[in-house]
Amino acid sequence: MTEKKGHFDEDLELRVSPKLSEDLNALFKPQFSVPPELDRAIMDRANQRLVQRHWRHRIFHHISIWRIAAAAAVIIFAFSLNLTQKHGPSTSRTVLVKAQAVDIDRNGRVDILDAFKLARLIESAESTDKSLSPVSSTEQALRKQGWDINGDGLVDRNDVDLVALSAVRLDKNKGVL
Amino acid sequence: MDSDQELIELVNQGDPDAFEALYRRYRDWVFSLAWRFTGNQQDALDVLQETFTYLLGKFPAFALTASMTTFLYPVVKHLSIAVRSKSRRFTSDEEILGELTAPVLEDAQSSRSELAAVLTILPDEQREVLLMRFVDDMTLQEIAIALNIPLGTVKSRLHHALKRLRHDHRTQDYFLE
Repeated sequence: MTEKKGHFDEDLELRVSPKLSEDLNALFKPQFSVPPELDRAIMDRANQRLVQRHWRHRIFHHISIWRIAAAAAVIIFAFSLNLTQKHGPSTSRTVLVKAQAVDIDRNGRVDILDAFKLARLIESAESTDKSLSPVSSTEQALRKQGWDINGDGLVDRNDVDLVALSAVRLDKNKGVL
Repeated sequence: MDSDQELIELVNQGDPDAFEALYRRYRDWVFSLAWRFTGNQQDALDVLQETFTYLLGKFPAFALTASMTTFLYPVVKHLSIAVRSKSRRFTSDEEILGELTAPVLEDAQSSRSELAAVLTILPDEQREVLLMRFVDDMTLQEIAIALNIPLGTVKSRLHHALKRLRHDHRTQDYFLE
């Protein structure tokens, strides 16, 4: 069959008698109707599914809201924790920043010599006071100098390590304070 | 009375009564269409049930972009073909047409039986468009969307079908001079 487009004669459709539609409808009209049992079966299925889905959708919706809220709370908590930690003494990164400011021999550079000098000062303090209790006078003097690098209340080997670490970092970057 | 769009919106929100309203509105049309395609009462009822089950599955996110008949027509057609092949009734459309045509009353017998006879000699595509236009009362644009063919093709098929009816002495009375 060939179908030439743009060939439609609208007049032809307009000339069709309404009887054509009537007779076609009569010819193709089913001789029986839909049994009520089928209506019920379809509607029962619809009720079941729609109610189920509606509740599933609502529950999912509520769960989603709670999930979003929980995720937001975790992010806010983590963010605030991070802010707090910036001021805290415990991370090596923040301590390193502080260590960079500690130029023990005051030569304008933080290098391995600063670590050595701090180590010697601590050793001499130990030999003088025999102990490094926070109340010892030499140790208090060292702390006054600001050499409690990690902020733990003691000026000891850990502070030396941090100064050494800072010096290594600075050496790598060829940094000068 | 709510529009199809309004009912669909309500069903999307989980309203079973809105679904029932849609079902009541299109049940007979779907059933007669299924009967037209299958030529068998039980198959037509199966198709009816399957069609509304399919529609139900579209919710709660169903968006109707054209008319409801445009949406349902291809669904009914494809399900009818599936049901026919499953029930192993490989009858031709002409045979179905023979089964379909309702027993005609004596006074109307001649014109309707002759109309049925002429319909059987129309190519399937032309007969389908003719019935969609004059039985289902669909616009040319709706037919094009439902069959997924260009509007020009719909016009061409309808033109050829009407032309054949008009030139056949058994059906020329359906045309006004």
